[in-house]
Amino acid sequence: MSQNDNLAIHEEDAERINGVLLHFLGESGAMEALLIDRSGQLLARGGASRSLDTVSLSALAAGAFSSTAAMARLLGETEFTMLFHQGVKESIHVAAVDEHAILLAIFDSRTTVGMVRLFAKEAGTAVGAILAETRTRPQRTGVLSTPLHKDEVQSSFRERPV
Amino acid sequence: MSIINYAHKEISFKIVYYGTGVAGKTANLQYIYRGLPDVNRGNMVSLATGDDRTLFFDFLPVSAVTVRNFVAKFQLYTVPGQVYYNMTRKLVLRGVDGVVFVADSQWDRLRENVESFRNLEENMKEYGYNLDEIPYVIQYNKRDLPNVAPVEYLEYMLNRKSRRVPYFESVAVEGKGVFDTLNTVSRMVLVAGFGQEQGALNESK
Repeated sequence: MSQNDNLAIHEEDAERINGVLLHFLGESGAMEALLIDRSGQLLARGGASRSLDTVSLSALAAGAFSSTAAMARLLGETEFTMLFHQGVKESIHVAAVDEHAILLAIFDSRTTVGMVRLFAKEAGTAVGAILAETRTRPQRTGVLSTPLHKDEVQSSFRERPV
Repeated sequence: MSIINYAHKEISFKIVYYGTGVAGKTANLQYIYRGLPDVNRGNMVSLATGDDRTLFFDFLPVSAVTVRNFVAKFQLYTVPGQVYYNMTRKLVLRGVDGVVFVADSQWDRLRENVESFRNLEENMKEYGYNLDEIPYVIQYNKRDLPNVAPVEYLEYMLNRKSRRVPYFESVAVEGKGVFDTLNTVSRMVLVAGFGQEQGALNESK
């Protein structure tokens, strides 16, 4: 596969992305923001530190977003740029950031989907610009810059004793 | 696609279990979920139909390896095997770093295996991925059943591309071969992600 598909988020990029996500939360009134790669992997999280299975949430949101994009193509659209799931207490808004990433926001009745949508668009543009910059940088730096030695790739997963 | 997060000291990879319907892809993930200590795995998510056939995907995040102080995380996915679910299969392959092709060893499933493998190649091509380059292994499952084809025959049918890949005999529901498969494919993915040093991994079994 193309190396260009891979992504490395360096510490300074992570800080900038986090800044955008926190700004988004402040402006929109949403509680949590997840930046998710379209392959289903979580790239960054901003907001409340409650216990939330963000790994599963990311995989499912990416799946839902990509399946609605496939539906859009059946209608002749490029994709549906947002997805909204309304719950009784909390709702989820997912917006396209760029061709590689999506931005998921969790919010409740303290704000509205309109507010979330408005500021998600702004945040998406800002994060998209950071990600575009990130992709131009070397991916493996520091300790990751040299290939693995055979001693570093031993078997890893072991069953727990019965 | 691998994602390196320098802030969290993590490297993430995506591995997809592919193959024909009822070959045992979900059984692999279920066994891994049951077999791994809690600390090495997250929640398993299954999007299945009422009769337990995978509708969209199964998902299981696992991690065990630390390489140079970075935690290597692997997100394991399955695809729905039924022919008519090709669109969802394709969606799940997005960003894949490694593949386990799970073949049903029974004689009467040979044709479906071959078709599923071709389907994998086609779907990979649509993303611009190439099975000659991406790490993958083959698992011959259901070896406990009476009507299975010899492994040599299955190898001849499915593992004859220019690059022969590691293969495993398995009985996924009982766990036989499941961890060998996972360990090999995850190592291959890791090595490919870093760029391989000479002799870092011998891919032939």
